[in-house]
Amino acid sequence: MEFLTKKQPSKGVVFFTSTMLLSIPNCYADFTENLRWSLDGSARLNLDNARDNTSQIYAIGLDTHKVFTSDNSDIGYAVGQVYFTKIHNLTPVPFLFDNKNDSDFIIREAHLNYTAGTSWLPNIRVGHFILPFGLEEAIDTNGRLLDYYLGANLGTKLDWGIDFNKVVKHLEYSISYTLGGKDKLDSIDGSYAVTARISSLSHQNLVIGGSLFNGKIDGVSRNRVALDWRYYWHTYGFFGELALGEDDKELGSFQTEKYALLEFNKTSLNDQLKLYGQFIFRDKAQLKYAEKLVNIGLSYQFTSRFELSLAAMKQVSTSNDFKKKKLARIQMRYRY
Amino acid sequence: MNKIISKFIICSLLLVFVTCEATAIAYCSLRDPVAQMLDLYPNKTNQLSIVKTVDADIRAKVQVALPNNDLHFSELGQHTLYVAMDGESLLGYIHVRSEQSDWGLVEIVWAIAKDMTISNFVFQRCRSPKKQLAEQPYFKEIFIGKNYSQLKALLNNDGKTANDNVLEQAKGASDLANVVLRCALKTLLLTEVLWGDDLNQL
Repeated sequence: MEFLTKKQPSKGVVFFTSTMLLSIPNCYADFTENLRWSLDGSARLNLDNARDNTSQIYAIGLDTHKVFTSDNSDIGYAVGQVYFTKIHNLTPVPFLFDNKNDSDFIIREAHLNYTAGTSWLPNIRVGHFILPFGLEEAIDTNGRLLDYYLGANLGTKLDWGIDFNKVVKHLEYSISYTLGGKDKLDSIDGSYAVTARISSLSHQNLVIGGSLFNGKIDGVSRNRVALDWRYYWHTYGFFGELALGEDDKELGSFQTEKYALLEFNKTSLNDQLKLYGQFIFRDKAQLKYAEKLVNIGLSYQFTSRFELSLAAMKQVSTSNDFKKKKLARIQMRYRY
Repeated sequence: MNKIISKFIICSLLLVFVTCEATAIAYCSLRDPVAQMLDLYPNKTNQLSIVKTVDADIRAKVQVALPNNDLHFSELGQHTLYVAMDGESLLGYIHVRSEQSDWGLVEIVWAIAKDMTISNFVFQRCRSPKKQLAEQPYFKEIFIGKNYSQLKALLNNDGKTANDNVLEQAKGASDLANVVLRCALKTLLLTEVLWGDDLNQL
């Protein structure tokens, strides 16, 4: 049971637990009313051709969603996702772990969204949430092989902070200030992130969004502006995200960054099978060449509890002279 | 490496055989139909959510009440009925349901009056080229103001398609009329079976 004692519980876990407990007496309904919870387990196998390495990621956790109500009105909702995650022989080692055979409790999302304000006041979200930027804002990628590279683009996908959001008649917006500590409920060496996205209504067949980002994470200052879209026709989807910006890894020397993602996807009539192909272009001024990647993947929902996913990534061109990446991944996921 | 892949495949197959229904999506992706609720109830100031579970028993009840019909797997699990309020006054109910069609899943946000008749509906997801026809008042009038029994009377003997009068009134969007009718019936049935007691206490 080494994994239970070797690390101190993060402030995030303390925050999540205490906010959930504190909110109980403030509600009229019992805590179990309007509560969704699911045990979520997954096993992922990664076959990295360039490194000639095979690695695995195992995760088991609790996914919860609770709507808080008064006598005649919703007050808000909470989302909490805590996972025990074990990696085996995984390189490069993700920032959440200390070595390639590590394990830890990881908080994916943990936030409260207060929605009971008047019609013109925004909802207020506090906690650990996905930064409102680009395609990732509307599409759930947590625990899936599908990815929109938010972490690679901004420095992190999730962060601790506060967010103002609202759906109004013809548009949606979300503006957040976060601490830049990624999984830590702290600002580290002056880290911060200001992120904002505005889009047309996300349930429509054509959704267009614009995003802004300014922040300093892991000592790197970044500015970004992005345009994203989703277009659905029949059972096909055509998604795109174009981002422009600059990074400042060394004080006072901003370098231009360009990023583009195009995705074509298809679902079966009953939504059980999902197929996608992505082309990703990333150009950094200080690097010799632009990087180009191609991803293809599928997921099949055998039952509503069990999903099998496959994905393959091939680097078409690299930003340096190293061997081109080739990665195949298989994941099975079970929700109970 | 081959050994690991073999274990993976065996575990996957075992899970396929031992599993049944539940919710497939992560809860972080749940979204209230905020814009659609404003469309359906412009005077709504607040809402009250009531979450209930659609399980295998409920699915069986639907199959008995509506022969030749079934619930899509995404319809199992926990679902929300919204009570639309203007302050402390109850305006009506809102319920979102999915129905499979030839253009993928169609998701409809239903407004239900206190007397359990359909008062209006809007599409949350509909990729049919006939969607605009189905948003016209003449199409909506087929369903608006009707309760479960009145809607059931619009079905053909096959229990799945609408009768000729409905298809004629749908004016070119007959396939969508079949989908909307099935969805309306399941919505009213599930609202009554699952949420009826809670709604009576409001």
